[in-house]
Amino acid sequence: MTAQTSVICSAGMPTGDRVDIVRRRFQAGEGPRVVLVAGIRGDAPEGIRVAHNVARVLGACHEQLCGTVDIYPCVNPLAAHRGLRNWPFFDQDLNRRFPGRANAHAPDLVARTLVDDVQGATQVLEVRGAHAAFAEAPQAQVRSGDSEAAKLARSANVHVVWSRAPGPAAPSTFAWQFPNTIVLEGGTGNRLTPEVATTLSNGVLNLLNVLGVLPDDALTFHWAGMSRPEVVGDEQVHRIRADVGGLFLPRHRPWDAVGEGESLGEVIDPISGAQLAEIPSPKAGRVLALREQPVVLPGSMVARVVEVSDG
Amino acid sequence: MAEVFRLGAPYREDFRLERLSYGTGSPSVTVVAGLHGTELNGVHAVNLLVGPLSMSRLKGTVNLFPVVNSFGMDQGTKRWPYDDRDINHAFPGDPQGSAVQRIAHALLEHTAADVCLDVHSASPQMCELPQVRVPLSGREVELARATQLPVVWRRAGDRLEATGLVGAWRNSGRAALHLLGGRGGTLDVDHAGQIADGVLRLLHHLGILSLPPEPGTTAVDTTRAGVSYHYGALGGFWVPEVQVGDRVAPGHLLGKVTEVVGGNLLEEVRADRSGIVVTLRTYPIVHARELLVRVADAL
Repeated sequence: MTAQTSVICSAGMPTGDRVDIVRRRFQAGEGPRVVLVAGIRGDAPEGIRVAHNVARVLGACHEQLCGTVDIYPCVNPLAAHRGLRNWPFFDQDLNRRFPGRANAHAPDLVARTLVDDVQGATQVLEVRGAHAAFAEAPQAQVRSGDSEAAKLARSANVHVVWSRAPGPAAPSTFAWQFPNTIVLEGGTGNRLTPEVATTLSNGVLNLLNVLGVLPDDALTFHWAGMSRPEVVGDEQVHRIRADVGGLFLPRHRPWDAVGEGESLGEVIDPISGAQLAEIPSPKAGRVLALREQPVVLPGSMVARVVEVSDG
Repeated sequence: MAEVFRLGAPYREDFRLERLSYGTGSPSVTVVAGLHGTELNGVHAVNLLVGPLSMSRLKGTVNLFPVVNSFGMDQGTKRWPYDDRDINHAFPGDPQGSAVQRIAHALLEHTAADVCLDVHSASPQMCELPQVRVPLSGREVELARATQLPVVWRRAGDRLEATGLVGAWRNSGRAALHLLGGRGGTLDVDHAGQIADGVLRLLHHLGILSLPPEPGTTAVDTTRAGVSYHYGALGGFWVPEVQVGDRVAPGHLLGKVTEVVGGNLLEEVRADRSGIVVTLRTYPIVHARELLVRVADAL
């Protein structure tokens, strides 16, 4: 038995060719339907790799499944083709176009088609890499108040579960369209990080196990080795910004422990090399995100530090 | 010229937000352009105001901000070039936030006036007949009509989102108008001139300018119900057969979608009502279901 591959939407190009948005369905037995979506933005390939890692495992144990797993490995193929965040030509951030529109240009049509196709899922997972300017520790994000999602996300093998209050743009994101969606994120924008891919892939497989779709003996690891992260709220996640413009040179890596007042990095003048500022951590904790693209202006975020019990 | 805000930047001189001020007292008007670095008609329109304002005895105050996103303009980008953020999605801003949030906050703080105008161009793919967009009712409608611009478009919820400058102004209780004309990425001298003349007529209406400018002609004063949106069913190479401002009748050929290779006809787009072409796709490569033409009821 092999996965059933379907084209959910085919976007016609002005020059005549077509770009297909594909769903791979792994289905056997009775059980919940879990959806895994990746590649909504084209500059976060880690999610695409995780989707394929998971598909490879599911393909090898297809008959043992108890339910359905629908994998959409790359929703924004044109952007992924160029390593761009936005849908090219229209320069639209697909993750600001949901729920989309049926009778509209390609980004809106793809968004609408995806939402329609995902409807009815028991659990929705979105997996993605970091913003192109940052490296992120493996993490799960759920909407604040989604206690069931937060509880489930603790089985995603991530370092932390962030129960996050929705911002102004939230209603136009994919994750907003389906209650209890879990967003898995990690790695570095537009790059692949092997250990992050392994962490997140195992996390997705473990979630499938917890949800009853994937049996224990199909796991490629022992469930006891999964991390059991803390759930944190916005008040425990601190954004640290530069006060001066220059080049930010980090002194840490994601998930390093930092003490209160400890330097996260320095800002230097890009012409003279002179140090302009040290940027201290406001709290003791772990480095959740760190700027990798070094050019900063006053107000540019350089890191996120999360207060956790082992920080 | 007064510098109202400064932000340090690596590799180059600081970002500066600059204001030109004319007259004193009430009523007061602020005109902002260049929030998007590729929308140059607004910049030219605001600069065209400098001469008349410099040579007039004003009964009130006019503040001009010809360019907000000067770094984007330098680099030919609509958005703030360092992090590709849209300043017009960053309002009301935050003095401790990111660069665009700081700029947005400073701009909002320094544009307090009785009447506030935000001047834009269309996207680089479209051309818009000079127009003023306002809510369906309220004082803004009266002010919009005073500009006598070719199009007064009353729109439900127009620009009321608080993350945009016009929405932020309205949230602060100010009368705010969204002016728009021409095409992004280019300079249309005629459209910029029409917008500048419209602003001068508004200043006269408010009593700030004593001498009446040349009258304008509003050809369209409508709501959404009076506008037809024409989309292409197919992608291809769009060849328009009209220009903005043209009068058309039902069945009038607005343009054709042809094959990119070979030029064979794929689709004709024809008007479904009598009216005036207020919006026209000018960039020829089009995808399926993209907006090509808007035709609005004429007065």
